[in-house]
Amino acid sequence: MSHAIHSLGSHISRISVIALHAFTQLVRMKVFYFLVVFGIIMIASNFFDLPQHEGPEAAGLNVLRSIKSWSLGTMTLFSEVLAIVATALLLPKDVEDRTLYTILAKPVPRLDYLAGKLLGVLLLVFVSLLFMNILMTVALHFRTGMVIENQMLMAEALGWPQDQIEAMKVDTLAQGPTWSLQGAVFAVFLRASIMASLALLISTFSSSTLFTTIVSFLIYFIGHFVADARDAYLQVGGGILAKLLSLLLSLILPDFQLFNVIDAVIEGQVLPLLMLAKLTLIGLCYAVFFTLASWYIFSEKEF
Amino acid sequence: MQCFSHLLHGISFRKKNSRFVKSSIKIVVLGIVLLGFGALRFPFEVKLSKDLRVGGLTPAPLEIDTRDKIDQTSSAVVLGGLRTLVATFLNLRAFSYFQEQKWDDVAESFRTIVDLAPRTRYYWETGAWHSAYNAASYYYNDSKLAPLRRREAWRMSIVRGRAFLERGIRNNPDDWRLHSYLGFMLADANKFPAFQDPNATFAASADAYGKAVATGKAMDFTRRAQLYSLARVKGREAEALALVRSLYATRGNQTPTIKTLLFILEAYQNPQMEMEKRATEIFETPEKAYSALCNQWVRTRELYPVYGIAEALGGLEVTLKKDPNESIFKQPLQSPTMTDDWFTK
Repeated sequence: MSHAIHSLGSHISRISVIALHAFTQLVRMKVFYFLVVFGIIMIASNFFDLPQHEGPEAAGLNVLRSIKSWSLGTMTLFSEVLAIVATALLLPKDVEDRTLYTILAKPVPRLDYLAGKLLGVLLLVFVSLLFMNILMTVALHFRTGMVIENQMLMAEALGWPQDQIEAMKVDTLAQGPTWSLQGAVFAVFLRASIMASLALLISTFSSSTLFTTIVSFLIYFIGHFVADARDAYLQVGGGILAKLLSLLLSLILPDFQLFNVIDAVIEGQVLPLLMLAKLTLIGLCYAVFFTLASWYIFSEKEF
Repeated sequence: MQCFSHLLHGISFRKKNSRFVKSSIKIVVLGIVLLGFGALRFPFEVKLSKDLRVGGLTPAPLEIDTRDKIDQTSSAVVLGGLRTLVATFLNLRAFSYFQEQKWDDVAESFRTIVDLAPRTRYYWETGAWHSAYNAASYYYNDSKLAPLRRREAWRMSIVRGRAFLERGIRNNPDDWRLHSYLGFMLADANKFPAFQDPNATFAASADAYGKAVATGKAMDFTRRAQLYSLARVKGREAEALALVRSLYATRGNQTPTIKTLLFILEAYQNPQMEMEKRATEIFETPEKAYSALCNQWVRTRELYPVYGIAEALGGLEVTLKKDPNESIFKQPLQSPTMTDDWFTK
C-alpha cells in the first residue's frame, strides 16, 4: 500500500516537474502578448452601442451583450489556437533541442512525460483564460453598474413601482457577470483541453508541427458537425451508406457542439450546474482517453 | 564482403518491415479502441445533446440557407462555435446598410442574424423596427416613386416587420417584451392602416398585449395598452369594459384615457344612462370631463369608439356656458387614417 502511494507520489512529482517546465518553456515564447490584443478588443466592444429603438429601460443592455460576445469569442479563438499550436510544438521542439533524449534516458515513464507536457499546455491555457476572464468580468461589472444606475434614475423619474424596478434590475443583472458566464468560460477551457489532448495524440505519429496543427484545426471544425452527423444517423430513413458514414464520424470525432453553451449564456440563459458537471465529465473522458491513446502510440516509438 | 552487406541490408529491411507492421497494427488497434470509446459515449452524448437543446443551451443546427448567406470567413467562425460573435458582426454590417438605406440588405442581414442568435430579443425587435418603421417611413417620403408604388412598398415593409416580429415570438414565446412590441406596432395609427381589417388588427394587438401580461413578467403599462387596443375591437366591448373596470379600481391606473374609455364603454353598454352626469362623476368636475372628452373627440386617427361622447359634450357645453362658435363640434378633426390621402400628396 505504502509502495503504491510512494509510486503515485513520484509519478505526480515527475508530471508536475515536466508540466512546469513545459509551461515555462511556452511562457518564454511570449505567448501572453495576445492579452494586449484582448484588452484592445475589450475596450472596442464597449463602443459598439448602436442607436436603439427599445424603451429607456433597455438602454445599454446591448453593450453588455457586445462585451460578452466579443470577449467569449476572443477567448475561444485564443484558447483553441494556444492549445493546438502549443501542443503541436512541444514534441518536435523537444526532439529538435534533444531534450527528449535526455528525459527518456532517465527513468521517466513515457506516460508521465506526455501527461506532464499536456498539463503544461493546459496550465498555459488556464492562466490565459483566467487573465481574460478577470478583464471581462471587471469590465462587465462596471458597465452593468453604469447601466443599472441609469435605469434607476429613469425609473425613479417616471415613478415606477418598486417591484417593477426590482424586476428590471434582475433582467439587467442577468446580462452582467453571472455564474453562468463563468461556467461558459469553463466550457471554453474544457473544449481547449480536449483539443490539446487530441493534438497530443496526432503529434505522436505526425512528422511535423504543421501537419499536427492543420489536422487538429480540421478536426476542430469537423467536430462541430458531429451533432449533425449523429442526428442524420438517428433520423428515420436515408441511405445506408450515408447512415454508416454519419455513424462513423460521430463515433470517431469528439462532439464540440456540446460545449457550445456560450452562445446561450451570452443571450442571458442560465447554465445549470448539472449540465456543467456533465460537460466536465465528458471533457475529462475525452482528455484522458486521448492521453492514453497518445501513450499507446508513443510508448514504443523510436527516435 | 558482398555477402555480409546483403545480410546487413536484409536485417535492416526486416527491421523496417517489422516496425511498419507493428505501427500499422497499433493504428488499427487504436482505430478499434476509438470506435469502442465512441460507442460507449454515444448514448450519453445523445442524451446530453438532447437535454442541452431542450434547455435552450445549444442552438438548433443552422439551415443550409443561412450557411450559404454568411461569407466564408464568418462560416468558419460559426463552425468554430461563435454564432453570437458573427451575429454581432452582421449587426454592425446591417447598421451600415441602414445608414445607406439599403432596406433589402438590412432585412436579409437580420434574417441571418436571428438564425445565428434566435434568443436575443434585441435582434428581433431591431429587425422588425427597421422594416416596419424605418423602411416604411423611407417609402412614405420617397417622392421619386409613383403614389401606388410608394403605398405598396410602405405597406409591404410594415407587413414584413410584423411577420418578422411574429417569427421572433414563435422562437421566444415567454418574452413579454416581444409580445408587447407587436401589440404596440399593430395599434400604431401610422401602421395599422397597412392591414386590411382594422378590427382584426386591433384584436391581434390586444391579444399580443394579453399574451405579454400572461407571462407574468410584463410591466403595468401593458395591461393599460391591452385595454387601449381592446376598446377599439368591435364586438368585444363587454370584455373591454370588464378590463377597464378592473384597471380603474387601482388608483395608479386612473389616467385620463382610462377614465375616458370607462365612460365610452359604459355608454355603449347602457345607452340610456345620463351621459353628462356620469362623465362628471368619473372626471370629478365638468371642466375636467369636458377637456378629456374633447381630446378624445378629435382623436379620430386612432379609431377609438366615441359612444356617448357627443351627447355628454353637448350637455357639458351648455352647463359650462361655452360660446357656440367655439364648440368642439366646430373644431377640425385629425386627418383620416385612409392611406389614399397620404400617398396622393
